[in-house]
Amino acid sequence: MRRRIRFSVIYQVILLLLMYIPICVVVIYSFNESRNSTIWTGWSLDWYRKLMKNRSLLEALKNSVILATISSGAAGIIGTLGAVGMARIGWRSKGVVEYISSIPIMIPEIILGMVFMAFFAMLNLPFGMVTLVLGHTTFCVPYVYMMVKASLVGIDRSLGEAAKDLGASERRAFFDITLPLILPAVFSGMLLAFAMSLDDVVISIFVTGAKTNTLPIRIYTQLKSGVTPEINALCTLMLAVTFLLVGMSRLLGGIRKKYPQ
Amino acid sequence: MRKTKGFFAVLMAMALVVVSLSGCKGSGGESEKKEKGDPGELNIYTWAEYVPQDVIDRFESETGIRVNYTNFEANEEMLAKLETSEGGEYDIIIASDYIIKIAAEEGLVKELDKEKIPNFKNIDPVFQNFFYDPENKLTVPYGPGIPLLVYDPSVVTCEITGYDSLWDASLKDNLALMDSERVVMGMTLKTMGESFNTEDLDVIRAAGNKLMELAPNVRVLSQNQTQDYLLSGEVSAAFLFTSQVVLALSQNPELEVVYPKEGLGFGVDAAFIPSKAPNSDNAHAFLNFILDGEMGAQIAQQTYYLCPNQASYEFLDEEFKKSLIISTDDVPNGEFIQDVGPEATSLHEEFWTEFKAALD
Amino acid sequence: MGQTTKESETIVRWKKTKPTTRRNRWWLIVMPLYLFTIFFVALPMVYLLVLSFLTRARTWGVVNEFTLDNYIRIAKPVYLNTFKESFQMAVITTAGTLLIGYPFGYFMARMSARTKSLMMLLVVIPFWTSALMRMYGWIIIFRSNGLLDKLLMGMGLTDSPQKLLYSYPAVLVGMIYSLLPFMILSIYSSTDKMDWSLVEAARDLGATRGKAFFTITMKLTLPGILSGIVLVFIPSMGLFFIADILGGGKIMLVGNLIQNQLQNGRDWPFAAALSVVLMIFTSVMIWIYRRVTGVRELEGLL
Repeated sequence: MRRRIRFSVIYQVILLLLMYIPICVVVIYSFNESRNSTIWTGWSLDWYRKLMKNRSLLEALKNSVILATISSGAAGIIGTLGAVGMARIGWRSKGVVEYISSIPIMIPEIILGMVFMAFFAMLNLPFGMVTLVLGHTTFCVPYVYMMVKASLVGIDRSLGEAAKDLGASERRAFFDITLPLILPAVFSGMLLAFAMSLDDVVISIFVTGAKTNTLPIRIYTQLKSGVTPEINALCTLMLAVTFLLVGMSRLLGGIRKKYPQ
Repeated sequence: MRKTKGFFAVLMAMALVVVSLSGCKGSGGESEKKEKGDPGELNIYTWAEYVPQDVIDRFESETGIRVNYTNFEANEEMLAKLETSEGGEYDIIIASDYIIKIAAEEGLVKELDKEKIPNFKNIDPVFQNFFYDPENKLTVPYGPGIPLLVYDPSVVTCEITGYDSLWDASLKDNLALMDSERVVMGMTLKTMGESFNTEDLDVIRAAGNKLMELAPNVRVLSQNQTQDYLLSGEVSAAFLFTSQVVLALSQNPELEVVYPKEGLGFGVDAAFIPSKAPNSDNAHAFLNFILDGEMGAQIAQQTYYLCPNQASYEFLDEEFKKSLIISTDDVPNGEFIQDVGPEATSLHEEFWTEFKAALD
Repeated sequence: MGQTTKESETIVRWKKTKPTTRRNRWWLIVMPLYLFTIFFVALPMVYLLVLSFLTRARTWGVVNEFTLDNYIRIAKPVYLNTFKESFQMAVITTAGTLLIGYPFGYFMARMSARTKSLMMLLVVIPFWTSALMRMYGWIIIFRSNGLLDKLLMGMGLTDSPQKLLYSYPAVLVGMIYSLLPFMILSIYSSTDKMDWSLVEAARDLGATRGKAFFTITMKLTLPGILSGIVLVFIPSMGLFFIADILGGGKIMLVGNLIQNQLQNGRDWPFAAALSVVLMIFTSVMIWIYRRVTGVRELEGLL
């Protein structure tokens, strides 16, 4: 028993370390003196100072975080409701709609981007945050949908039936029984969707407007002039903030466990 | 259960906060009405950091105009967006020569009102009258360059005098080229004494076959920062754009530069104003601003391209002038890469795909 | 007991039908997905299909001339070869992520509730960093005279710089690395809800650990495996970015080809045709997989 647990822990730790190695390099190179992000010349905090004064970069960051949050949230809702609903209805169009909703991840981004752009222009939508959200949500939905769908298959239908037999309304049966069971899948899907949105360049370039720049667009188009360690500094700060939030929420969670209200 | 209700409550709260935050900035995409006395905005569209931040900051503080700087990765993306917006949305676009020609043909480029750009006279005439703007009515040159061969003499054993030298067997797995089919096929065409822009399909086929022989030598194909591979020792010879040449030499002065004997290429990134730019006056003011002598120098020293501004020469610092190996005398000798029509382009495509398949 | 067959049949039938009020409710819930899919996916896809049958204009754009040329062009060996290469890469990538990711997701599911959510976050957080920066991280380590070389040469294991990057294996490793979280989280979502008592029951009945795993656990986690495979296989045919950076621009996948056609070739109809074929190809692959593994009970998963 104990030996098996140890192997599983070792396996996970090693894999996590491997996944974090490039991250560590990114963080270390944010202190790189050289203008060239990949050639090390010495230690410096200059890039952090420059970053703080770089209004446009910080604004791009803000736009991206907002965009990713809204998109993964909307995708979470649409995808989850969709997956749950699809499991219950028996319409003939069901299979087709399911297939179509997963198409965004089957098509190369550049095509998707161009198609969206043409489509949104046809609808006369203003290019900017609105179109960005629509575009991003579209490619985020499949992630949530598939995760939740896979999760639903394993759920014992009789649990929901039992709750209803005991007098629970359909809504309560969903919120109190089904939802908590699929929550890990919903959460997984949303986390992945958030990651996809935060790193999307091609679709974003096509559906954004003249006043809305996003972080990945900024980073990837900077390749022509050279990516500076300022970007490393930004990524490092983002990681720091994320870990801080995670740490804080776990602390709060731990405290709540100790002192249940 | 309380836990899931709490989860949704948090989600809703976050969503509300986020929506209200985004509402604040008003990035709906419509151009805002100018109030009296409000200098307004300027929408710049080009690669990130291509217009240095300090130049933008200075422009903003001198004129009070708010600059929105958004980016694209490839010229074709820019053109697709420009078409969709029918020449509107953006005020200043900086893109490459061949795409400007297409944009102009589609009527998406505005004719410049030279009276609003008194500094226009500062442009070095060597950088004017190009194929995409033969009457100099549409553009302001921004980043001109000539691609050259650069190699590390301490590692390379053969003599490099031109494109043809790259086929030498001693350079096996040691070459970095541009990830651009027209440039590489163009290079091959030059070794056969042909023009970059020949539309003769047989000639192109011959070039394609010759290109296959180059495959074993190529280690990396790259668009950006190709000089890094040379500097880190990954390759010993490379074909680099001007900015990359300058950066390579500044970090390793031992590297040798070669002007290919078969003939030079040439390329320019230029700034233009879209036909329906919402802030056309501000756009003209910006062009005038960057054509100022001092500004021109500041830009050139950060983009590392040739400086097209005559008035800037006195402001360029000595070290930079020395590192600029290319002089403006070479410019007229360079040949532009231009569009060659659908059949030729498709043929280029095919050979390029085959070439890549043969690599590695 | 005491009921006729007809009565019991009626009762069963009644139990199976949902009362009309309930059916309306589900209909509403599924509407957002339906509407979203139709507007923002189906309609754009029709545009794509139409585009693939048009002809390219001389320099830019399209001309409204119907043609099958684009599809005929795809049959050229050079392009078929690209599909073959991409397929190969996708299969190996998917197999790799499955082999490495399944144990991870499985172990994750067996942890305590608090550790589980922490692990989920830890797995995803690296991927909130720009993929470009992460690739640079790998490049800094593995390039000639990079950190790994310095380490190896410093330890005396090698005496000259290695040329590890800008090759097919490098791209493969990069792909597996980038797509791993999708597999891990898919497996986790499915394994998390497994009824472990079934495994215990099997063990009690005398099955070895291996047999219990293969007959029970793997079958029960099949939905997760399937969605993991879908989320990994599909993008890996089109992920041109990694092939460009880690492959030194030398590897041409279908995604790169389409990108190239759109940008350098400015041949939108051909790019559209390639995309349609890619779509059909991946759909067929998934369908075959479903058939082969007999996942009929996972109806509607894809």
